[in-house]
Amino acid sequence: MNAAGTSPMLQVRDLRKYFPVRGGLLRRVVANVRAVDGVSFTLERGRTFGLVGESGCGKSTLGRAIIRLHDPTDGEVVLDGENIANLDRQDLMPYRRRMQMIFQDPYASLSPRRTVAQTIREPLDVHRIGTPAEREEKVKMLLDVVGMSPRALNRYPHEFSGGQRQRVGIARALALNPELIVADEPVSALDVSVQSQILNLIEELQAAHDIAFLFIAHDLAVIQHVSDVIGVMYLGKLVEQASATDLYTDPKHPYTQALLSAVPVPDPKTRRKRIILEGEVPSPMNPPSGCPFHTRCPKVMDKCRQLAPDLERTGSAEPEHLVSCHLYD
Amino acid sequence: MSTRADQLHALDDVSGHRESLWSKAVYKFRRDRAGMWSLAVVLVYMVVAIGVIFGWWATSWAELEGGKWEAPSADHWFGTNIIGQDIFDRAIYSTRTSFEVGLVVAVLATALGGVLGALAGFFSGSWIDELIIWIMGVLDSIPFILFVAAIAYSLGDTPYAMHIAMIATFWITAGRLIRGEVIKLRGQEYVEAAHAIGVPEVVIIFRHILPNTSHILLVQATITFVAAIKSEVILSFLGIGVKEGMSWGLMIAESTREVLAGFFNNFLAASALLFGLVMAFNMFSDALQDALDPRTVAGE
Amino acid sequence: MSVSRGTPLLRVRDLAVEFATPQGTVRAVDGISFDVHENETVGIVGESGCGKTVTGLAILGLIPSPPGRIAAGSIQFAGRELVGLDEEALRAVRGSDISMIFQEPMTALNPVFTVGSQMTDVLKRHKGLTAEQARREAIDMLGKVGIPAAARRIDEYPHQLSGGMRQRVMIAMALSCGPKLLVADEPSTALDVTTQAQVLELINALQDEFGMAVILITHDLGVVAETCRRAIVMYCGKIVEKAPIEPLFDRPRHPYTHGLLDSIPRIRADKLDRLPTIEGRVPDLLHLPSGCRFADRCARATNECRAAEPDLRRDGDAAFACFHPWEGAA
Repeated sequence: MNAAGTSPMLQVRDLRKYFPVRGGLLRRVVANVRAVDGVSFTLERGRTFGLVGESGCGKSTLGRAIIRLHDPTDGEVVLDGENIANLDRQDLMPYRRRMQMIFQDPYASLSPRRTVAQTIREPLDVHRIGTPAEREEKVKMLLDVVGMSPRALNRYPHEFSGGQRQRVGIARALALNPELIVADEPVSALDVSVQSQILNLIEELQAAHDIAFLFIAHDLAVIQHVSDVIGVMYLGKLVEQASATDLYTDPKHPYTQALLSAVPVPDPKTRRKRIILEGEVPSPMNPPSGCPFHTRCPKVMDKCRQLAPDLERTGSAEPEHLVSCHLYD
Repeated sequence: MSTRADQLHALDDVSGHRESLWSKAVYKFRRDRAGMWSLAVVLVYMVVAIGVIFGWWATSWAELEGGKWEAPSADHWFGTNIIGQDIFDRAIYSTRTSFEVGLVVAVLATALGGVLGALAGFFSGSWIDELIIWIMGVLDSIPFILFVAAIAYSLGDTPYAMHIAMIATFWITAGRLIRGEVIKLRGQEYVEAAHAIGVPEVVIIFRHILPNTSHILLVQATITFVAAIKSEVILSFLGIGVKEGMSWGLMIAESTREVLAGFFNNFLAASALLFGLVMAFNMFSDALQDALDPRTVAGE
Repeated sequence: MSVSRGTPLLRVRDLAVEFATPQGTVRAVDGISFDVHENETVGIVGESGCGKTVTGLAILGLIPSPPGRIAAGSIQFAGRELVGLDEEALRAVRGSDISMIFQEPMTALNPVFTVGSQMTDVLKRHKGLTAEQARREAIDMLGKVGIPAAARRIDEYPHQLSGGMRQRVMIAMALSCGPKLLVADEPSTALDVTTQAQVLELINALQDEFGMAVILITHDLGVVAETCRRAIVMYCGKIVEKAPIEPLFDRPRHPYTHGLLDSIPRIRADKLDRLPTIEGRVPDLLHLPSGCRFADRCARATNECRAAEPDLRRDGDAAFACFHPWEGAA
């Protein structure tokens, strides 16, 4: 799996992304939205790290900070041994080839006035890969890879359904043969019967090209299906990380437990006891002291209000099961 | 309790695929009766203007063909002016002037507004944005007629002082609109995708963002066109507009001496043609705006 | 459906809704029939474009016209025909007997009025309450849908509330006149999982308290399984299958239902390598295939399916429209 045999392909270390909130006449920074607040994880070549959490938990920002659509406030993003978190535009260019993104909304992720061929070709043009004739060939091949006919080449995005548009977006992401793809909710805007087609396509491509995926979703079933390792995010922090099977069979963090129990299951015979969380997610501008989840946690203790727990190993499972909760101190 | 948005949602549910903005707009425009009529009127004016440029008609607008203040006749449909020039020819010839001014100002002002607005919007919050907004504020605060006079004076009485002044003033509206739209568009996922690929920022603006503001630019150009025509008439009337050739404004200026003497033909011909064009163009512009408005539904 | 329960609360027969589009007339709903009885929850499931939302709007007389119109059929509510009623009569029905809640509560709430003034408006109009009575009732109602500090929140504007709170306000407004039928169109889709659970729980609880029937329109089979007693599966404007929940999820008869249930990812200990899929995509309503609308995507389809459209066949409590259904119960 790991050809070099040493370090993993992607290492994220204590990554932070704060968005300043300006106010007053002088537009001074009055507060920070802590969208990502110290996240660390690693991802091996050809594997999938699933990132799950509710809206506003910072999972999309984390994905965008890793591929440098946002400039991280602090921390490191190490890609094959090189920290790319602070590279400038020019130095970043070679790394742009190696990491790409698949977006959520197939209606917003393609330029409405550009043909499918233009859209898929653009990365090849920008990085000057091959001759123009070779680029044409590559575009046709990519369309074929994502299961679309060459007739689509000169048509515009609005002529296609959501699923087909998502295929075009995937073809664009594949054009540069990336090693890492950040997929931000790639199926949540699609119809049920199309979701499974796109999920299968992503998995086929991953196996064929040994691509590592950071797969971001709010749907626990989708995440569980595609991921090797899953990280659960809450208020900008990872609260639990475990293999897909472990996380499902043995969720440790009370938030993970509540999340799992809230998913509606398409089987009328399993009437489970739901853990209904009270209240709402606190504002990331003003996160609670101590454990970020203590305001809604059904098992809250005094300690949780003062002391923030660390993300630490629990049990002996392989890959390691990490949880950030005082219940497991 | 239900709202339009929900009903629109239902429509999306039905049509399954979304059609392109343009084909939808053409469909909506063709169903707009007033819009189609106004377009027809504008086209007639345009043919008249083109005919003047190619010398098909109104060639003798400057010649002294008749006596002073002749009444309308088969030879002179609108009569003649104080020195015996054909008023109909002069009014027709002025159509060309109006179109010239309108077109030049509309195209250049909108293009300038588009580019500067896009730059400001794309780099909003940076010094580029601040600078462009500052320029807009300064230009906006100079009284228009004073501005024309100043430019005319500083450029040594060039025939284009009026054009330059109008362009320098009229791009601001387009610039503000485009800036707002670009701020909205730059957060779109396809713009993020272009960043992720490594497309240079200038290319992103011109390839991915500006084309998607074309509907705003188009409507803004038609509005500027009308504004330019009206301004030209006023400026020419005041003597700081058209210097060579003939214009409705000059005709109206001429008529100030005639109206007191009870001769209205010059005034009426110029005003009527001006009114017809401005009216039709305004209606056309409204219809265009409705047709291009993504919030209205086809078939209404 | 079940014969014993007497007259249904809502009786829809051969309903067809058409929309004029630039490319031609589209039949978004094409001859559907179903009943809803008092106090029960019926799910309408399907993918986008299947006509489920249009069905909901038709029941409330909210089809935008033009371009839409009810082309045929009847909708009877408590024995009274709704198709053909004028706008005023429909508005009376909408406020007091049937209510609807939508996916995105923000679009249904007027941003420039406070929550309270929007709620009291409805109460004053339909129940003839005085301003003060209406306000008391509105606060009471907001409390019932679980809005903390209702007496204070009633004076807030919609944008001051979170998504989940807005949906609660929508529900409070919809229920304030005590409707006998609530049409909920994807009420939880725009919400997070944990908030979705709260809202679905709330609808369930209120249904018991108010004794009303609910039509739950959704694309989420999980939501249907957990909240409905019966479900109607729609595809391309037609009902392909309707049945009580347990047989529907246990032994779906129609290949579309079957495929849909197979293709959704589920949380399970044994990970599947590959999800079963329904190949192809939903046909365009303007260019429907001849015969069965699902035939092109169906592994069981034969020439018979491409030649003729199957009618809805009844089988005990259930019904399905297919020539080659999956086996039912032994």
